[in-house]
Amino acid sequence: MESNKKYWKGLEELNNSPEFMEMNKSEFAEPLPIEEVLSGAGLSAKTPRRDFLKALGFGVGAVTLAACQKVPVHKSIPYLIKPEEVTPGVANFYTSSYNGQGILVKTREGRPIKIEGNPEDLIGGGSLSAQGQASVLDLYDVTRLQNPVLQKDESSWDAVDGFIKRELATVAASGKKIRIVSSTVHSPSTKAVIAAFTAKFPTTKQINYDAISYTGIIQANQNSFGKAVLPHYHFEKADVIVSFGADFLGTWISPVEYMRQWVSNRNNTSLQNKKMSRHVQFEAGMTMTGTNADTRIQIKPSEEGLAIINLYNAISGTTLPGSKQLSNKAADTAITLVAKELLAAKGRSLVVCGCNDVAMQVLVNAINSLLGSYGTTIDLDNPSYQYAGNDAEFVEFINEMKRGEVGAVFFMDANPAYNYFNAKDFTQALAKVPLKVSFSDRNDETSSLCDIIAAKNHYLETWGDDNIFAGYYTIVQPTINPVYNTRQAEQSLLIWTDNPVKDYYSFVKNNWETNILPQVGLTGQAGWETLLQNGVVKTAGAPVTAYTFNKDLNVIAQNIINRSNQLTASGANAVELLVYETVNMGDGRKANNPWLQELPEPVSKVTWDNFVAIAPKFAEKLGIKEGDVLKVSSGSHTVELPVLLQPGQAQGTISVALGYGRTLSGKVGTGVGKNAFPFFTFKNGTFQTAAPASISTTGDVYILAQTQTHHSYEGRNIIRETSFDKYLKDPSSANGRHEAEHKTYTLWPEYNRPEYNWVMAIDLNACTGCGACIVACNVENNIPVVGKDEVRRRREMHWIRIDRYYSFKEGNENVTEEREIDKLEDLDNVSVIHQPMLCQHCDHAPCETVCPVLATVHSSEGLNHMAYNRCVGTRYCANNCPYKVRRFNWFNYWNDSRFDNYLNNEHTQLVLNPDVTTRFRGVMEKCTMCIQRIQGGKLKAKIDQRALKDGEVKTACQQTCPTNAIIFGNVNDPDSVVSKALKSERTYYVLEELNTQPGVGYQVKVRNVNETLA
Amino acid sequence: MRNVSLLLKQISRLLFIVAAFVAFGTTAHAQDPAKGEALFKSSNCGSCHKIDIRMTGPALGPTITSEPDEAYLIKWIQNNQALIAAKNPKALTIYNEYNQSQMSVFTNLSDQDVKDILGYVKDQWKKVQAAKATPTGDGSGAVADSGPSNVMLLGLIGVIVIAFLIILVLNRVIGTLERLLLQKQGILPEDTEEEEKPAVDRLATVKILAKNKKFVFFVVLCLVVGLGSWTWVTLWNTNVHQGYQPVQPIKYSHQLHAGAMKIDCQYCHSGAYKSKNASIPSLNVCMNCHKVVKTESPEIQKIYNALGYDPQTQKYDSTKAKPIQWVRIHNLPDFAYFNHSQHVKVGGIKCQACHGPIQEMQEVYQYSPLTMKWCIQCHKRTEVNFKGNAYYDRMTDVHDRIKRGERVTEASLGGIECGKCHY
Repeated sequence: MESNKKYWKGLEELNNSPEFMEMNKSEFAEPLPIEEVLSGAGLSAKTPRRDFLKALGFGVGAVTLAACQKVPVHKSIPYLIKPEEVTPGVANFYTSSYNGQGILVKTREGRPIKIEGNPEDLIGGGSLSAQGQASVLDLYDVTRLQNPVLQKDESSWDAVDGFIKRELATVAASGKKIRIVSSTVHSPSTKAVIAAFTAKFPTTKQINYDAISYTGIIQANQNSFGKAVLPHYHFEKADVIVSFGADFLGTWISPVEYMRQWVSNRNNTSLQNKKMSRHVQFEAGMTMTGTNADTRIQIKPSEEGLAIINLYNAISGTTLPGSKQLSNKAADTAITLVAKELLAAKGRSLVVCGCNDVAMQVLVNAINSLLGSYGTTIDLDNPSYQYAGNDAEFVEFINEMKRGEVGAVFFMDANPAYNYFNAKDFTQALAKVPLKVSFSDRNDETSSLCDIIAAKNHYLETWGDDNIFAGYYTIVQPTINPVYNTRQAEQSLLIWTDNPVKDYYSFVKNNWETNILPQVGLTGQAGWETLLQNGVVKTAGAPVTAYTFNKDLNVIAQNIINRSNQLTASGANAVELLVYETVNMGDGRKANNPWLQELPEPVSKVTWDNFVAIAPKFAEKLGIKEGDVLKVSSGSHTVELPVLLQPGQAQGTISVALGYGRTLSGKVGTGVGKNAFPFFTFKNGTFQTAAPASISTTGDVYILAQTQTHHSYEGRNIIRETSFDKYLKDPSSANGRHEAEHKTYTLWPEYNRPEYNWVMAIDLNACTGCGACIVACNVENNIPVVGKDEVRRRREMHWIRIDRYYSFKEGNENVTEEREIDKLEDLDNVSVIHQPMLCQHCDHAPCETVCPVLATVHSSEGLNHMAYNRCVGTRYCANNCPYKVRRFNWFNYWNDSRFDNYLNNEHTQLVLNPDVTTRFRGVMEKCTMCIQRIQGGKLKAKIDQRALKDGEVKTACQQTCPTNAIIFGNVNDPDSVVSKALKSERTYYVLEELNTQPGVGYQVKVRNVNETLA
Repeated sequence: MRNVSLLLKQISRLLFIVAAFVAFGTTAHAQDPAKGEALFKSSNCGSCHKIDIRMTGPALGPTITSEPDEAYLIKWIQNNQALIAAKNPKALTIYNEYNQSQMSVFTNLSDQDVKDILGYVKDQWKKVQAAKATPTGDGSGAVADSGPSNVMLLGLIGVIVIAFLIILVLNRVIGTLERLLLQKQGILPEDTEEEEKPAVDRLATVKILAKNKKFVFFVVLCLVVGLGSWTWVTLWNTNVHQGYQPVQPIKYSHQLHAGAMKIDCQYCHSGAYKSKNASIPSLNVCMNCHKVVKTESPEIQKIYNALGYDPQTQKYDSTKAKPIQWVRIHNLPDFAYFNHSQHVKVGGIKCQACHGPIQEMQEVYQYSPLTMKWCIQCHKRTEVNFKGNAYYDRMTDVHDRIKRGERVTEASLGGIECGKCHY
């Protein structure tokens, strides 16, 4: 073993706490009481023999009676008139777009069941985020409104239309203001509809209101360069990336796109060209981007501004007023070193900041200007339209309402009653508006305050379009008729304005035919059909030019210092609070999606809850233990949340996730976690995510449903990691294969794999841990959601999980011996590795040899098959699996009222993949490498009478991975991508010393660490 | 009764024939129905017209008989386009009534030809009207013909058996009561001894047999073997529904369509060649033919009802449509994946291999047991259909085996591995 680094999944494992050791002894959380029985305790009990016979008799009788049931008559109902393009049993794919990203929607017999990225798409290039994958389930959400709601009662569209037209006429006559409040509208046709509405009612104004806003950047660009836009960043062109709290791989602006760009300088191809970008992250809370950074420096929110000032000073050679040393020495040295690296890579570097403060962003603009980033890594001429919200505008709107100037308000995709920091103020102001209309798919927090809920369609039921950045247009086309009596918002607006174009489809089509299609040389019906076929179009775009910053920075620096002072917490229990967006929950609008709720948050691995993240050392100082419920107060808002000890969290800070604590989201999401939006503050014209806060313990203890320490490896070394320097010297460094090959012995004969040998290659250097693969796998393979309680019992069902390992940073060689761990000194200074773990399809699979009924056996294609109908549920296989990837169905999740998450509902079950069985209680299951796709691909090749092409069959996880970290294919074909990937010097197999001969090869993680900075 | 109705029927037939002869006799000079029939068929009038029912064009019988102007009819039939172009009001009305669908032009027909056709049509129309009139008098006879149904018969037998049993029991009760009465009155002596004797006699033979160990062993053996094999067979065949033949909502006959008419399976079950489902045809496939063929059949009427289709106006009313609920015969469990196209298209297996002599089935029944054993046996026996399929070209291992003269069966290519069907 070359590296002696110790990797650990959580503090319990690191400290080897007795509870953890005890829990780790057995595969399953609750052992059977066999020992009790054998030890005689059970036998000495009263009449155990009689009870046994009674139970046996009853059991046999019950089973016999149950077997007497008549076989049900199955009905088969064909189409009356079959649509020409539908063949029952064959999937159709339609292009559409999700939040401006081109997608393909897979439909079976007319119902959408899966969403894939569109390979033509410029954002994801065929990949999709976890939220995008999960969005198909929202279509089958039973909480959705089935009819429009008029004055709290379900009504008809005629009544609603009549009511609104009357009221609008009154408002127009009174001359009062009309406001359309929406999250950023980036659809050209929606904009046109709103323009038409404004033309009819000239007092109308549309307000873009983003729950998580980027006003800071937009305003800063206005101040610096006179362009109020969100730039289009190009991480692929940056050799040195410095991020101040911007979680650009996880949540910031356009994470899927940035992940693809970011990894293009770090993947296998790039490494083989001896090239790897360097990524330094300064942040308070551990974000997913921070876990992937080469160097991560903790920095308090209050010192972030100071750090940026120091960085500016170091790069420009000047000294801004108010500059001073940071309290954190490591950060100070890091700033000077990073400045050197940035200057060395002038024109190939990028500095981003996640803060929503205008002054901070102006200073970042100045730094980027000095580094020559404008025109190279930052494109201001083809801006991004993803966020255009103006926080001040929204606050002004509330004042307008208070003054009684607003006659009508329409909410489109906006839920300020939940996510505006002063919801009470908003609610009171809203009560003064005579006409309140919400376009919402459910009776959510804001809709419940409105006179009318114009129940809107799911996006898979609508026509529309998107323009996510300049020159890139995507189309939204429906893939199913509206399931309920709902109508899309644009359609309603057209009706209420008596627009000559009656239906929105024609409106969109006209808009494209006159404005967009001619730009790309498409015309007429043929052009329209080409568009529907491709789903996306790209126009030439404006030429990218360089911008130079030449504004005075003295005032800016003063503003930053003032802000820092305001953030600095003082007092005994004072901390700096930072609220953040998580990868799975986002801003909370998808809170009712059980797939996202059960997706472990990439860093903490917590499901179904938010929490207070606090550094272990700081917690010890305050006498706080994991699971203690804390009372967190900031401003006028107080919440009680459990504690999670988060290594890597900056001292003196706590982090709380947004997107939880919905009060009206539906069966799944209501009441999960606590709302952190009220911790926002409105300062300097923008919503700020950091604030001083005070904490106190309540004495309660709450157990978080955290998956991180389930599935223990007993401390075996399964992670391999190297540095870029070492990699350059020896590409095979740290792959663990340098020791002399030791002889392996096997009991089993070798079988050959004549045609196919399906294997997988997973690049640890590309995996960011975003979890899109987990959701994609859930959708594809009908994996049940088990809920918070069952996750606590270690019974989550995910076939693929992403293990997150902490390790102390290089240089601390003494950490290898458990006893010598200088625990809390180092806990601030950890690095993180994400490792996707799924069934390894071992050629010598330990699970196969222990199955008493041969339910799991090997195939001639190198796959480890699992026959559910053969399994009797002994669970020996899970016990014997060294990778801990087998999952047991403790309940009949799809028909059990205790799991009222989604599967036990007939309507929601329509989302299930009909090509994959739903598993019954008492059965083992695990990754099949999407065998239904393999079989389907082979069959298609056979029908077309041609050989199966490499890359034709993709597993669901591979297909959705934004960084192409997962490659699947036939290793028998020497030209296949997977064969080549596995020939990489970085390849190693997890636990290969056990001679299980896994089918999944991993590639060593490479960190571009600067020795002096580490 | 029956004789009377038969007599009536014969009389009506006679009257009809006489009437027909009279009609024939009067029109014979001008119109020759026999020739007309030949022309009617050769000109394909039947593809758009029927005598009594409106189709693409009007029902000919009532239209022609009610039209007084024969010259107009002849002109219309020979060249309707000219009449429409000339804006003949009568022509325009009918043209518009039938959605301006174009009728073919028959300039090749002489005036006499058309007259012959008209003669034939009138002739047919009369026959139809006569036929409509007769069956009403025939109703009672038809019911008598069909005889009692099976249910009625069984019910009757049941009633008789029950009645017989009741009589027996009652007899017994009466006998006992009488005896008791007589005994009480002292007329009859208590006859216990007399009754015991025959009972002892009967048991004696049984006792002798019971003492014979060989016999006992033989009986026990027979019982064990019999019951055992019965249990074995029953258990193995639990949930095996070979021969399952449910009653379907429409009496569709595969024997007629696939057997007599020789319609290709693929015409209706097109999914079998491209999908995992063979798919039950949607009703628009039925309507390809049955818009015209056998429109009067009550079974076809069921299709019309399901579609909300009105044969008179030829319009579909989707509000009245209600899908047909066929009863599924071949039920594979959910955990077994079966794909028709793999077997039919790639493997080149005949439908009959699994579905049996479908072309001879009036009503379809499950021919194969559909057990896993049955699947596996076939996979072990069947050689892979490589012929001309480039998919197998790269599989060098298979080629070697063929060269060595081995049989390459489905099973030897992994066709009996669990995960190939269970996932």
